Amino acid sequence: MSITTLFENYSEFRHRHPDGDVPHNPYKWAMAIDLDACSGCNACAVACYAENNLPVVGREKFANGQVMHWMRIERYWDHDGSEFPERGARYLPMLCQQCEAAPCETVCPVGATNHTPDGLNSQIYNRCIGSRYCSSNCPYKVRYFNWWDYPSTDNVWPAEMNMQLNPDVTVRGKGVMEKCTFCIQRIRGAESDAKTQGRLVRDDGELQTACQQACPTSAISFGNLVDPESRVHKQWMAQQVELNKHEQAKDEEPGGSDLRGYRVYEWLAPYPSIMYLERVRETEI
Amino acid sequence: MMNSEFDRRDFLKVLGWGGTAVALTGCGNGMVESGKETVVSYVETKDYMIPSVSVYFNSTCAQCDAGCSITGRIREGRVLKLEGNPESAINRGKTCGLGQAGVQNHYNPDRVRAPLLRTGNTGEAITWEKAYALIDEKLKGVSGNEVAFLTGGMSGHTKVLMGNYMDSLGSKNHFVYEAIGPAVVRAANKKSYGVEMPRFNIGKARVVLSFGADFLGAWVSPVNFSQQYAQFRKGSGGHQRGVLIQVESKMTITGANADRWLAVRPGTEGILALGIINALGAHGVSIPGDIAAAVKTYDKDRVSNDTGVSAEQIDKIAAILKERTPSLVLAGSAAEGYAHGSQNAAAINLLNHVLGNVGKTIEAAAIVPFPQMAPLTGNTAALKALNDGLAAGKYKVLFSYGSNPVFTSPAAMKYKDNMAKADFKVVFAQYLDETALQADLVLPLDSALEDWGTQVPEYMAGNAQINIRQPLMEKLHADTRGMGDILLTLIKQRRAAEYKPFDDYYGYLRAAVLQNKAALGGANQPDNDIFWNETLSKGIIKFEGAKHASLSVKSGAAGLTLPAPSAADAEYPLQLIPHVNANLRDGRNTNQPWLQESPDPLTTIVWDSWIEIHPKKAAELGIVEGDIVEVTSKSGSLKVQAYIFPGIHPDAVSIPLGRGHEAMGRYAKGYGVNPFQILDMIYDKETGELALHETRVKISRTGNRVIVVKDEGPVGGNQEGQKIVPEMLTNKVNLSKEI
Amino acid sequence: MHSFLRLSLLLLGFFVAGISYAADTPQSNPVDPGVDGSAIDKAARQKSDSGGSAFSDWITKYWAEGPDNIGPAVKQPIEFPHFRHAGDHDKGGMEINCMYCHTYARRSLVAGIPPVQKCIGCHQSIDEVRNKPRIKKLFAYWDAKKSIPWKKVHDLPDFVRFSHERHIQRFVFQLNRPVQEVCGYCHGNVKTMTVARRQKLLSMGFCVTCHEIKHPVTAPGGIPIGNQAYWYSMRKPVIDASGILKAQGPNDCSVCHK
Repeated sequence: MSITTLFENYSEFRHRHPDGDVPHNPYKWAMAIDLDACSGCNACAVACYAENNLPVVGREKFANGQVMHWMRIERYWDHDGSEFPERGARYLPMLCQQCEAAPCETVCPVGATNHTPDGLNSQIYNRCIGSRYCSSNCPYKVRYFNWWDYPSTDNVWPAEMNMQLNPDVTVRGKGVMEKCTFCIQRIRGAESDAKTQGRLVRDDGELQTACQQACPTSAISFGNLVDPESRVHKQWMAQQVELNKHEQAKDEEPGGSDLRGYRVYEWLAPYPSIMYLERVRETEI
Repeated sequence: MMNSEFDRRDFLKVLGWGGTAVALTGCGNGMVESGKETVVSYVETKDYMIPSVSVYFNSTCAQCDAGCSITGRIREGRVLKLEGNPESAINRGKTCGLGQAGVQNHYNPDRVRAPLLRTGNTGEAITWEKAYALIDEKLKGVSGNEVAFLTGGMSGHTKVLMGNYMDSLGSKNHFVYEAIGPAVVRAANKKSYGVEMPRFNIGKARVVLSFGADFLGAWVSPVNFSQQYAQFRKGSGGHQRGVLIQVESKMTITGANADRWLAVRPGTEGILALGIINALGAHGVSIPGDIAAAVKTYDKDRVSNDTGVSAEQIDKIAAILKERTPSLVLAGSAAEGYAHGSQNAAAINLLNHVLGNVGKTIEAAAIVPFPQMAPLTGNTAALKALNDGLAAGKYKVLFSYGSNPVFTSPAAMKYKDNMAKADFKVVFAQYLDETALQADLVLPLDSALEDWGTQVPEYMAGNAQINIRQPLMEKLHADTRGMGDILLTLIKQRRAAEYKPFDDYYGYLRAAVLQNKAALGGANQPDNDIFWNETLSKGIIKFEGAKHASLSVKSGAAGLTLPAPSAADAEYPLQLIPHVNANLRDGRNTNQPWLQESPDPLTTIVWDSWIEIHPKKAAELGIVEGDIVEVTSKSGSLKVQAYIFPGIHPDAVSIPLGRGHEAMGRYAKGYGVNPFQILDMIYDKETGELALHETRVKISRTGNRVIVVKDEGPVGGNQEGQKIVPEMLTNKVNLSKEI
Repeated sequence: MHSFLRLSLLLLGFFVAGISYAADTPQSNPVDPGVDGSAIDKAARQKSDSGGSAFSDWITKYWAEGPDNIGPAVKQPIEFPHFRHAGDHDKGGMEINCMYCHTYARRSLVAGIPPVQKCIGCHQSIDEVRNKPRIKKLFAYWDAKKSIPWKKVHDLPDFVRFSHERHIQRFVFQLNRPVQEVCGYCHGNVKTMTVARRQKLLSMGFCVTCHEIKHPVTAPGGIPIGNQAYWYSMRKPVIDASGILKAQGPNDCSVCHK
């Protein structure tokens, strides 16, 4: 940081999707979630608790907004003034969007959150000092802070419950930030197995995130966006959503697009890696 | 100042580092974590035991009765996570949140760990030998018809063994009780289709019209139905996307996913069904004579008046049902929970006949060719019968397994008091729940993840299958036993010679399976060990081409009468709908913290109960969110926080079931209220089932207010004009390019 | 004046201590240990016999002169002689491959302590040493079917994911280096020891030092080494002064920090 950088044009900083240095080669992990299939059942959220050693904070701390659900189901109503919600509710599974230009990465004072070459936003627990600037910057509010010492003082895994903890995931202590990692332990495991066998990770179900694996309606697709054979790639292509644009060409069409794919808060240009497919409602009833 | 020969070591000495520098550098890279110095190594291992590499075993989930197959991930001898087994036609590799919490049931710190004998108000831990001896002693001089068995639904070899044990005692008093089972619908299905639980092909349907059947939530086999639902939305066989219409008085999660959710006056679901049949006739669908006669007076204006659903809407439903076939009409808990629930369900089932769905989306279910293993399903009439018997002093010895009636029965039934009338009460349980606390002897059970067994699901989603249950790890607690092992020991007290060849339930199961090897898929496998191991490894025994129960095409319109909508009751103006949600159900899994902290899909409330009130009604009564209201029925009252909820009929209120435990464990006790307690004892006229939705209540503010603990923010599900969850209508969206 | 000097010395000391902890003395030009083993290993062997004052022990433990350091001598339930089993023939050893006993190294995150069965597998037939005191101890464990309570020598914090498999696969199976040399990069010259003793610092800097070494991406002729044309690295492969396309080892935080 020098005097000259102060004169640089910061309006350009992080407005473009950063490319060049960090390769999406050979992996770029992304997701597509079909909101017409998602029933809002919360199976994904519970599976995430099981896989990632998430602490159950209890009623009082939940009331304080200190819940730790990395994957949460947001429920919206239509709010169209009618007496009953006759079109049902709208469910949105919200988890870390693994933004390409993540607003959280730039503000960490110690560099505990970074971007990986395979397109994830990484969170390094032992480097985190707990400034919470990252969660303040996150537009999706998907970062969760360990306000309390859950493993020891709060003893959220008493007696035999600690045997259920996943040894592939760090148990976080007090004062560190955490968030969805796209089950990076599973990703690293699959990448390692594939590497030993001299190949790349295939899109045949050998690598699934916990949420994807549990989802009873198979609403979640997860995979390698740069692998032309992967389901996620095909979905993003079919929906004409490009990762490194914050305005999609298809939305410029007169009357809007007739395709369902969109990303939440795309116009803020964090370039999220999760594409949602809009829920559909029948007009004839 | 610094001499060039000044060594670093001396430099530090000069500084008088005293401990400061040590504090900065002394955290010890590579130092062994204190307390973890010993490496756990093995004496002998199997080849597949590679430390840090997971091993997977198949088994069957026991969190509800659907019988989904699970694959457990095991690391170093402990089960860590459950996934679905892709080979099962029931759950096809998926699990629900409740299934995921199976590990929390297994590792639960509040599990009973030793047999407990009542001494006054406490339980004294005794040995199993003493427990068995005590049971034997208490049964002496007691005749068979003075012994009663209360269980939940049972199937497979445990059911067979239980039946044999009862037989050895000369007892025929087996009461199979399910607090929230679809008993009325089963009976109605039997009348309408000839079978209690046909196979519902949601994936094939183009329209699903569900009268309160919460098939995405807690109804029958939700994981299977969810999978089919996904298929249904995609449209099969070149058809367009399926349409879901949900009719109920209180919005369930299935209702939240509907294209059209219709709030219907509580109890008038059958009237609406007949009105739709009438409208179908008006739209030109041919209606069989007897049915046409039955629906003649149910024109859409009268029906609209009775139910609250607009005539225009009834027309639209008839139009879309006529146009898009096949369809599927489901009768669920909302329809059946009334004194005329059977008639409601019968009227709804008529729609399937009229629409020609029988044989298309309502199919014959496959049957496992071992009828003795077929599941026993439960109902509340059974509990009533047991309760009456206990009250009359008929039963001296009571065995209780897989049910918690002290919690799930209405207080007006006085089951707790009646249970005390039995001389000796044995409860087989994993937790000290409300019923176990009334026992004389509590026998601790293995969890489903450490036990052996077979299970035959009631709802057979595909071809017939028998699910295998095998331990996913060594027993956690030395002094718990599997139910099969307990039954085997007990039956050996009476039929020693017959059961002598079996050392344990594992041996019994193995022998039983091998005895029928040919029928169980082992005809081409001469080696018994290989066949047994393969069976265990697959976790499912499948029967290709098994016999299907046949469906009757008789419609059964004869004698169908529906009562008029119930008159308003000035003293108890609101209908109480106790809601079954997917995770908590009847409260058997409430002590699993993940489920307590999992937000309710409709209200996002956690760790507590609530009463849902429609905004219009709330405004009338001056109730705002968080007000503690007193809810009073003829049978009791409770106090609960209010939640203003648009998805409920203004004449109804709803409190979720499953919370309000007074025992069971640290995560269950003291959270919420139990609406089971205040239910009125009103029964379905035809089946004698407790009519769960017939209770009427009055509510009044207590003047206290709390902050509702929920996941949604103060904005409460409002997108505030942002494009967070947009929606597309079918006349705009292009689904043709989707994969 | 004196107080000022003392104060500034103290502050300077804080600085230096802090920097030394943070910097962990990386080498400016990381040197590939190569086939013959390095001078580092020799130095390590010498140091393992050092006595000295508590202070000098502390210094050798934490104040690195090179990337290797010494852990404490760990007392094991049976003083297992690596030199007898893995040592060279001319020194009385049997040159058993490290992975014969630590068999999981090529397929697991951990190398694994062998089960008692592995020892008994050979020793049940070796009558000459059957009555030696340590062998008798071994058989006592076996007969009682009790697991030997070995004490850890090498440990990494819980937030670190270290995969033995990846390293063995790279160095032994792809680059065809001898097993003892590869294990020795981190565990030192175990074949000269009885029970293992930590030879290297095993700090993050120690690992990063190796990961910063630039390796050729392709062999002459353009064939990717080990069939892998991709490298986990934040920096793309670049052609260096020698004209060969080289890249570093993984230096993305999330590869090692779980």
